[in-house]
Amino acid sequence: MPNLSRRGLLATLAASPAAMALLTEAARAADLSASGLVGELQGPTMITDPAKWPKTFQEAPMLAERVKAGKLPPVAERIPAEPMVWQPLNETGKYGGTWRRAFTGPADGENGNRIQSSDKPLHWSADGSKIVPCVAKGYALSDDGKTYTLSLRKGMKWSDGSPFTADDFIFWFEDIYGNPEIVPTPTPEMRPRGKPGRMVKVDETTVRWEFDVPYFLFEDIMAGDTAMGGGQAVRQAAKISFGAYAPGHYLKQFLPKYSSLEAVNARAKQEGFENWVQMLHFKKDWELNTEVPVLGPWRTVRPINTAIWLLERNPYYYAVDTAGNQLPYFDKVQFTLAESLEIVNLRAMAGEYDEQERHIDLGKLPVLLDNQEKGNYKVHLDLGFAGSDFMFHVNQSFTGDAEIRKWLTNADFRRALSLGIDRDQLNETFWLGVGTPGSPAPGESMPQSPGPEWRKKWSTFDPALANKMLDGIGLAKKDGDGFRVRTDNGERLRLQVIAIAAFLPYPKLSEMVADQWRKIGIQADVKEMERGLGFAKQTNNEHQLFVWNNGGTELLYLFPTWAVPVIPGAAFGPDYARWYSTGGAQGTKPEDPNILKIFDLYAEAAGLKAEGRTHNAQEIWKILVDQQYGIGTVGQSPAGLGVRLVSNRLGNIAARVCNAQHCRTPGNSHPETWYFKA
Amino acid sequence: MSATTAESRVAVATQRQLIWWRFRKHKLALVSAFVVLAFYVVAVFADTIAYTEPFDTQASRSYIPPQPIHWFDAAGHFHPTVNALKGTRDPRTFKLAYVPDASEPRDLVLFGHGYEYRLFGIIPTDIHLLGVVNSRPQDALFLLGTDQLGRDVFSRLILASRTSLSIGLIGVVISLVLGVLLGGISGLYGGWIDVVIQRVIEILRSIPTIPLWMGLASAVPNSWTPQQVYFAITLIISLIGWTELARVVRGRFLALREEDFITAAELAGASQMRIIFKHMVPSFLSHIIAAVSLALPAMIISETTLSFLGLGLRPPAISWGVLLQDAQNLQTLALAPWLLVVALPVIVVILAFNFLGDGLRDAADPYG
Repeated sequence: MPNLSRRGLLATLAASPAAMALLTEAARAADLSASGLVGELQGPTMITDPAKWPKTFQEAPMLAERVKAGKLPPVAERIPAEPMVWQPLNETGKYGGTWRRAFTGPADGENGNRIQSSDKPLHWSADGSKIVPCVAKGYALSDDGKTYTLSLRKGMKWSDGSPFTADDFIFWFEDIYGNPEIVPTPTPEMRPRGKPGRMVKVDETTVRWEFDVPYFLFEDIMAGDTAMGGGQAVRQAAKISFGAYAPGHYLKQFLPKYSSLEAVNARAKQEGFENWVQMLHFKKDWELNTEVPVLGPWRTVRPINTAIWLLERNPYYYAVDTAGNQLPYFDKVQFTLAESLEIVNLRAMAGEYDEQERHIDLGKLPVLLDNQEKGNYKVHLDLGFAGSDFMFHVNQSFTGDAEIRKWLTNADFRRALSLGIDRDQLNETFWLGVGTPGSPAPGESMPQSPGPEWRKKWSTFDPALANKMLDGIGLAKKDGDGFRVRTDNGERLRLQVIAIAAFLPYPKLSEMVADQWRKIGIQADVKEMERGLGFAKQTNNEHQLFVWNNGGTELLYLFPTWAVPVIPGAAFGPDYARWYSTGGAQGTKPEDPNILKIFDLYAEAAGLKAEGRTHNAQEIWKILVDQQYGIGTVGQSPAGLGVRLVSNRLGNIAARVCNAQHCRTPGNSHPETWYFKA
Repeated sequence: MSATTAESRVAVATQRQLIWWRFRKHKLALVSAFVVLAFYVVAVFADTIAYTEPFDTQASRSYIPPQPIHWFDAAGHFHPTVNALKGTRDPRTFKLAYVPDASEPRDLVLFGHGYEYRLFGIIPTDIHLLGVVNSRPQDALFLLGTDQLGRDVFSRLILASRTSLSIGLIGVVISLVLGVLLGGISGLYGGWIDVVIQRVIEILRSIPTIPLWMGLASAVPNSWTPQQVYFAITLIISLIGWTELARVVRGRFLALREEDFITAAELAGASQMRIIFKHMVPSFLSHIIAAVSLALPAMIISETTLSFLGLGLRPPAISWGVLLQDAQNLQTLALAPWLLVVALPVIVVILAFNFLGDGLRDAADPYG
């Protein structure tokens, strides 16, 4: 291997400089110490020294029965020669039980994807600061940043018992990713500087990526919640087809390459799909297809489009505890459909869920605390790191209405909207005062923070200045009710806000902001939408203002969707994202020089070492905050996935889990090590 | 008064007097009439009776419980005051606790100053029925408490009454016009016109109302202003409401058409219009009034249901249904049960309308 200095694949899993300072964020938690709800970041410990690995293995009783019946090979044959070994947080657990959770319907796949996230090539340590092994036992990056090598575990198997090897990566690269009918838009993550990278099989357990230009960022990407590093569960659900590997031995039967176009299309028709591509999208989706082999701790036995989404243990899961017990401890995971957040919270309070952090409403915290004893659970608050848990993403590529577009793309207009928001009011009312008001920029302790002054810039409450700015840009004329009017037809200027009820009551929050905007003469119509529909509108470039958080953007390059338009579907400007991600082949080129500057900085960062990347991220944040493409409100709170209810019956539960996109909350807390104490 | 004089009085009494005497006997209906009247007075003077701007949000006033009024001061003199409130969030339970501060009593006065509005939509004023002397009303007065956003429940309730009651009234007027017109045509002309109208009525009545409303309400464009939505919802509700009235009117027309006095009028050469409006309508007017008073509560309930389901009026419009929808969460039940007070006026006004309608129906036929 020329130009590749192997830094000892197992030994040096370097701390990612990008996330080093995550822990200091806990300083603010001190303010909340009186509540006793914010603990220390912790989790199970990974044992990477083969000398300390267990020599014999045990399995769950339900699998032992199947082994006895001859339906399954013995446990020692199912576990890889190089397993992932966990020392659970407190003690060795006991097998059995069903982990009961809530989900809100087929659009809520992330609910399960996250707990399945140990199918990612690499993951993050419990505190979210270091890249650690996962499906791959290690990686190496060449000194010139052009070659990245991933080492897989010897003897690892898919959930159906077939071997998992480098071929599964090459299959994905050539037959899935390389087929424009399946992946019409290649991911920019595989195209540094627009130059497509290659994947090469070195041997059965080694895959190499080769790029034409230095691509130091790739080490972070392969661990992040990204197209390449996201893993099979999330990146091959719905109509996405990324994730760097796929079960070739199973999927080949659905590809024309391995039979014929007529044959696969005929089969698609027979199974009720329009064509083979549709069939493939279904077949590779672990949420819907109970037959697709997986690598994670569980596999679907009842699909997500039913009232109960049921997962069962993967008999070939590659992780064991230090005592040699194959994980996970739970036999099953059962998601029960709850159509509304109220129902989720009500059932959670009644103790009907064993662990639930998703869809738990921070606003109900007092009631949740009141019911701790009755529901036999404990409440934990896991503070986030992102700048804003509720923000307005302003669509820069909106074309539905020329007049609206003119204002959405006007920086002073966006700044005025931001200055018209009274964030302290929002924080007190909806966050019970536990959030931090400010811009979308990440907290000061984050390495990519552009500095404390950027948390405040254009992000304080100053309606007088906002009014002055709106008057100044040509919106001085108002109608009888005091609302500003359009310049083209003199009718009231009405902004449409799409709000989905998710981590916080976004529609209600939007109502409060709409009420505050009344005072600067801006009429905002809040349209509450179902999650699937709302996101479809957003992807189709039909939204004006889209309400969501910016979780994940604290590590900008790993999850840029809610900050910069570089991945298709970004609310910032779906059309610009399409342009950037296709290298100009599709979509529209932005006219705004600031967006082009962001694109330049973002593209350049990929080839820079950690220090340079951090610098570029800070520069990007400065532009984002100054331009207010996204209008931040209150962040760094437990609002998104951070109010965690855990049954007192569960063991090995962390006092605080890393609540961040790259941590795949609660994924990097490794639910496969949790168990029922009684 | 002897029996004979009473009888002779009845003999010479006009139809109107007879109806009134009959109605007076129905005590429940009489009381209900006053209740309904009171509700509409409140609706007309809503802005005066409310004391806080209904949209005024303030985080430090979130979930204040209903506030007691102290009627007498320490010396025993009549001197109504409310205490100032200090809110702090308990760091352990995260609940906002409000402690009354008796050292700073706020004097309550009649006809104090508050937010600016236009009385009857014309006269600009800031006089409200209730006011506080030494503070702004939105910072001191919370008779029925506040909601999550710190908005005063009492003021919102009063303004919601205006919306909900007027939707009922306007809805009934539209239904009445449609009902009398189409029912009249149907009954008067008969034949194929009658058949068509009656079949349309049957089809409309056979569709379950909630899905029909849902369909129509979701067709209301999102870009419409609350006022436009308001009228659209009124129309949607009356679209169903007219069918019942049309049936009643048609029946009366069919019955009256054959009466001798109509034949007499026809022979005397009266025009069709004259016959309808001079001879027929007055003879079943009382019946229509009764039908209307029974249709009104149905209209009000319809609006409340639609808005509660999130299909009718939407914030920032305020109606009983919108307020009830606001109370549709766990926090409300556990932390702020006073938000459910909205249900009370709905129940009272619906009952009152029903008793009133009952009394009117009896009185409409004083010989019965």
